[in-house]
Amino acid sequence: MSNPLRKRLLRELRSEAGKYGVIFFLLLATIGFVSGFLVADGSMRITYDESFDTYDIEDGYLDVAKEITPEEMADIENLGVSLYENYFVEEALTNESTLRIFQNREEVDRVCLMQGSLPVNTGEIAIDRMYAVNNGIAVGDMIESADRQWKVTGYVALSDYSSLFSNNNDTMFDAVKFGVGIVTQEEFAGFSKKILKYRYSWVYDVQPAEKGAGSENAEGERVEAGSAKAERAENDRAEEFMKDVGKVVNLETFVPAYQNQAIVFTGNDMGSDRSMMIALLYMVIGILAFVFSITISNTISREANTIGTLRASGYTRGELVRHYMTMPMTVTVMGAVIGNVLGYTLFEKVASQMYYGSYSLTKYETRWNAEAFILTTVVPFFMMLIINFVILSYKMTLSPLKFFRRDLSRRRQKRAVYLGKRIPFFSRFRLRIIFQNMSNYAILLVGIIFANLLLLFGLALPVVLDHYQEEIEGNMLSSYQYILSVPVSILSDESKIRSMISMLEFSRAVETDNETAEKFSAYSLNTMDDICDSEEVLLYGISDDSSYISLDVSGDEVYISEGYADKHNLKPGDTVTLKEKYEDEEYSFQITGIYDYMGALSLFMSQEKLNTTFDLDDEYFSGYFSDTRITDINKKYVGSVIDLEALTKVSRQLDVSMGSMMYLVDVFAILIFVVLIYLLSKIVIEKNAQAISMTKILGYKNSEISRLYILSTSVVVVIFLLASMALDRYLMGFIFRQIMLNSMSGWIQFYTNKSVFIKMFLLGGITYGAVAALEFRKIKRVPMDEALKNVE
Amino acid sequence: MFLKIRDLMKSFGEGDNRVEVLKGIDLDIEKGEFCVLLGPSGSGKSTLLNIIGGIDSSDAGFIAIDGEKTGEMKEKKLTLYRRKHLGFVFQMYNLIPNLTIRENIEVGAFLSSRPLDIDEMMQTLGIYEHRNKLPNQLSGGQQQRTAIGRALIKNPDILLCDEPTGALDYKTSKEILKLIETVNQKYGNTIVMVTHNDAIKFMADRVVHLRDGMIRKNYVNENKIPAEELDW
Repeated sequence: MSNPLRKRLLRELRSEAGKYGVIFFLLLATIGFVSGFLVADGSMRITYDESFDTYDIEDGYLDVAKEITPEEMADIENLGVSLYENYFVEEALTNESTLRIFQNREEVDRVCLMQGSLPVNTGEIAIDRMYAVNNGIAVGDMIESADRQWKVTGYVALSDYSSLFSNNNDTMFDAVKFGVGIVTQEEFAGFSKKILKYRYSWVYDVQPAEKGAGSENAEGERVEAGSAKAERAENDRAEEFMKDVGKVVNLETFVPAYQNQAIVFTGNDMGSDRSMMIALLYMVIGILAFVFSITISNTISREANTIGTLRASGYTRGELVRHYMTMPMTVTVMGAVIGNVLGYTLFEKVASQMYYGSYSLTKYETRWNAEAFILTTVVPFFMMLIINFVILSYKMTLSPLKFFRRDLSRRRQKRAVYLGKRIPFFSRFRLRIIFQNMSNYAILLVGIIFANLLLLFGLALPVVLDHYQEEIEGNMLSSYQYILSVPVSILSDESKIRSMISMLEFSRAVETDNETAEKFSAYSLNTMDDICDSEEVLLYGISDDSSYISLDVSGDEVYISEGYADKHNLKPGDTVTLKEKYEDEEYSFQITGIYDYMGALSLFMSQEKLNTTFDLDDEYFSGYFSDTRITDINKKYVGSVIDLEALTKVSRQLDVSMGSMMYLVDVFAILIFVVLIYLLSKIVIEKNAQAISMTKILGYKNSEISRLYILSTSVVVVIFLLASMALDRYLMGFIFRQIMLNSMSGWIQFYTNKSVFIKMFLLGGITYGAVAALEFRKIKRVPMDEALKNVE
Repeated sequence: MFLKIRDLMKSFGEGDNRVEVLKGIDLDIEKGEFCVLLGPSGSGKSTLLNIIGGIDSSDAGFIAIDGEKTGEMKEKKLTLYRRKHLGFVFQMYNLIPNLTIRENIEVGAFLSSRPLDIDEMMQTLGIYEHRNKLPNQLSGGQQQRTAIGRALIKNPDILLCDEPTGALDYKTSKEILKLIETVNQKYGNTIVMVTHNDAIKFMADRVVHLRDGMIRKNYVNENKIPAEELDW
């Protein structure tokens, strides 16, 4: 015969539909969203990794000033590569963005058609999907430059532009102001040769480190793809190739794929949110497990007589523990199963849209993800099982007699906390309610801290980005910084004559008559990978009487930017050690002071000191500070221009890719807040139903009873809201710092203002107000005969 | 007449399951009178008490207290009526578990604009020394004294007691009955007490026997004896 207690489960579910409903809904939403995210993340990652083979992504590209001749081509290909033309033009469009146009690629860096069709006629173009969406360009629309116009036939993803970096030296891409597109061969042939950029992509005949599966190196060691060893192997191969190809042609730019941000940035950034999502899931499951435990403890207190009778009749502890665990476990399993179904259907689309909102990824297929299943179903199930089992088993160790007497306290005699007569009666009453419900309120505190942390993140991010933008605008080194691109051929050790000629050409081409221009030397080093991944630091060698940087660097003084000091916790007197990116050479500098500049991780010293440190010529310089545009230097030697637009790309891109997600975060935070407040204040009222009923019999009005029972929770909620704001400000500062350290280069300071906290308080208050209204209704519905039941 | 009950009817359930609990009760109780309602289980005495107390309603008939009919009152007015006129004592005390003894009595005091002195009440009830304890630290008798204190502190016109000694031993029961007798004499409250204990009728001014929802006997006790002399 099956356990007859099971028959009450369905009735319990019906009578407590509200409680189980909201818990189920929160579990469903959390598991569904996290499962969707993990499935989309896993599928995207596989698609991204496979895209290297699927779309034949290049191993690198090189730019030259003029077309490579067939003979030169053959010489280069003899170096163990296949070389492909990948010419492009850049057109400034009337929407104030720049479009880089290629002819459709068939052998390397092939494109993925996302929507519509590829261009087949002249006057047609297929453009990057994300750029199109960001600029509101639909398939079928016309786009225009000063002298041309094209009909957009489709959206595409260029496999070598998963992140839309227009310049490989940029710290962040900008998918609003920069896009890519493809046209037919005939259309491309119509562009003037004057504006053509001669880019060639290469693919190694034998890979230095096999992508994907990894390979063995010359010493027979296994080299995992993406590992430091693999990157070193690729670097060695690329450097060797660069030297050899430099003997054949004059190189302007040489970028191996593993250094090409447009290709690798996406892969490096993917998965950085994974651990946060998993932490979010476990936090919610943990809180819900404790909420379940409290509600079950409440039920046990209510049913103590019955439990005592059942225990006295011969029911084992195990049978009762299993009985009381059935509902929470059933709700968890249902939440997990339906959550996973939604994860693979609805939420996976939402999560993949988040990726598609950030990157120009190719089409992907949903893949079964065993890890996601374990993390979102198996682990939460066992978490819920263990927490509930431990708490229930502990409760059930009391003797049947204790249950009969409803004496569920383990302490012999619980003493009342003394509250003086001077405290008004209602205040004492409320304090007693608070003392009675301390465990509920402890869970509520954790929940409010967690919900407010999410809310703070959602509300503060736009403020952080605005503040960053303002800081940048107010503290730019100069309106324009021109970082010159020294031709690779100058560095050639093999052909001194070619090097000399290149040097002369370069020096002449970068002289300017602009009166605001001030020369500086720049050198790029990398941080040691101690507190975060190694990242680039730009070293400025400035003139002693610089009119742009007000620092005294006449001696050995070295200053660092405030952004660098903030990110790496550096202060004057400390010594920083930096290294060459792919070499072992290290440089140490003692910090004299901090310079008020948040825009980048930078180090400032005298030009003389920089040139000496890096063994450069006394007259060497590699950039200009300027307050106006410099128009008289040859553009091909301009590596990058750091202006306001360039410096604020990070914040713009974050705004574009994460802005909409912040609303989801806000909604989710409020959902957690509502569920917890609703459940826990419901428990307070249920626990006191008899007392409420008695006060009604005695003649208390509903408003008075609410002032006692709801206001005590209100006071607690307000205190928790205020306390959590202070704590969450600190926690978010720490978390934001970790995000900045681990998932992006550069530095954005965490910043909040009063309005964020006012919004948080109002949202919390309004949400609580709605729940309190429901609780008021509940108090009104407590029947007076509740007190007449013999359950004292 | 202070408490007037006329043709009071009450039933529970519907159709075949309908049970008539009160089948036309007529009863008059004078101000300050100590009335005992006796009868077997299911006779309708607790239902009658609950309707007098305004925590249940009748199907027909009326109850008037000092000329005011409770059946015509809406929820808010009924609350005020209970607040102003009534005190309750139940078999199962119904104290608020997380309030001290003193605070439980204050729960009653709060409802009156002229409550009696709490300390004096606790002295009278013999629970003053326990005033800062929680209910679960007290014996059943002490808890019932607290419940009586909570009911009396607002000096109600009518004290309604539903089996106030039902859960107590002989000695404690007698103490509680003495206490009720004392407060009746000292404060002049009308007392309506539901009990199974036949002996209590000897200390009452009026005795009402109910059976099957009807009054079988209703008489004034001419030979009232003090609670001290009761025996059962």
